[in-house]
Amino acid sequence: MRSIACGLLALFIAQGAAGETVERTAKAAPDGEVDIVNVSGDVHVIGWDRAEVQVQAELGPNVHELEFEPHGERTSIRVRQSNGRQEGASALRVHVPRDSSVSVNTVSASQTVEGVRGEQRLQSVSGSIRTEIAREDFQAKSVSGEIQVTGKGETSARVTTVSGDVELRDVGGELEMTSVNGGMQVIGGKIDRARLKTTNGQVRFESTLKQGARLDAEAINGSLEVVLRGTVDADFDIETFNGAIRNCFGPKPERTNEYAPGSALRFKEGKGSARVRLKTLNGPIELCR
Amino acid sequence: MSSRRLDALDETLAKLPKSVSPERDLWPEIEAQIQAERQLKPAPRGLASRWVQLAAAVLLVVGSSLVTVVVMRDVPDETRSVAQVEAPRPETIAMPASFAGYRLGEDYLKARAQLDAAFEQRLALLPPAAREKVERNLNDIRAAAREIADTLAEHPTDPLLHELLMSTYQSELQLLVDVTHMTPAPATRVQL
Repeated sequence: MRSIACGLLALFIAQGAAGETVERTAKAAPDGEVDIVNVSGDVHVIGWDRAEVQVQAELGPNVHELEFEPHGERTSIRVRQSNGRQEGASALRVHVPRDSSVSVNTVSASQTVEGVRGEQRLQSVSGSIRTEIAREDFQAKSVSGEIQVTGKGETSARVTTVSGDVELRDVGGELEMTSVNGGMQVIGGKIDRARLKTTNGQVRFESTLKQGARLDAEAINGSLEVVLRGTVDADFDIETFNGAIRNCFGPKPERTNEYAPGSALRFKEGKGSARVRLKTLNGPIELCR
Repeated sequence: MSSRRLDALDETLAKLPKSVSPERDLWPEIEAQIQAERQLKPAPRGLASRWVQLAAAVLLVVGSSLVTVVVMRDVPDETRSVAQVEAPRPETIAMPASFAGYRLGEDYLKARAQLDAAFEQRLALLPPAAREKVERNLNDIRAAAREIADTLAEHPTDPLLHELLMSTYQSELQLLVDVTHMTPAPATRVQL
């Protein structure tokens, strides 16, 4: 019975057809969830101080309908394509309560999120992702789209990309980033834990390590460039099988094996409170401050 | 030994009993133990989704395989065998047929085949350009794994190579799982 009522409500609210511009508003919990799905085009999410979710949509030519379903603490917004066709870009501008948790799922649509303080889960196949995050958990996944994240403090961020580039600026706390060919940049922020892993991409890490922090970076053919800001108090364990190691702190790398090209560098700066592990197969490693 | 001493020995052997009975019959206790174990109920099933279970199974199998590799690192070459890991499609590069020369096992191959099938289904739903990028990057991971494996064959005791190869296997599996999870909702098709 309850599901029938929900279905009728959805049917009532689901409106908007191909080529139309529509606007819908509904009351929402100040810290509820907003779930947005749009195959192609653009999704722009803006946090505001009202307890309402509002969507303004310009629907593309092959859109069947715009679903807008407020249901309890969760609001669902979906652009439904006709016959599974993926062309026909729709542009969504969605205002959500500032503390909402936001989930955006797109194929080729680009995503922009600003002014949202709640948790974010963003996923795009080829569209770009650009967002500001606060202290709540953040997760982004992309195949080939670029990901740009600006932080405002410490959080827990997990970013996965295949070939798109990733940039995290002023994001502190715990980071986990992986890519195959995409480049990764971490600029600013105070780090507790960071794990960066790439197959062929280039990694640049330029941040401050907190007391007892852990930085673990690994590349197969990609390069690792680490620039540590502030006072450095860390124990370093750096090793490459076939790459070169450049260290601005002084100690020189040593050959690890008489019969193999690998080299390693282990040393301590300060009391060695933080731990830094950098490993590559062929890629070069550079460590500076 | 003289023939007289051999005869004496034969004579002594002939006097020995043909069979020896145990002091007490052990079978009833063994049978009771087997029955008790049979009556134990199977563990309840978890509520995790099928893909999470599958991914967990693959990672578990790989993990246990890799632990075996580390444990068995010093086993002589002649005891090693090689298993073929099926590539998801002929034109793609396959992962190394074994981990550092060690068999990955039937459980791995089975779980891996299921994950590959799920991956292929989801991959087909992606736009052609994205599909091509995924395939190209998957090939890059597999090429990297092959390069590490080849290098490891020349330097079988290098711990860095073991670590990087293990990590590359995990990267490949993670990519398969991520793509399998990606874009289920936008692919929903509405028939007018």
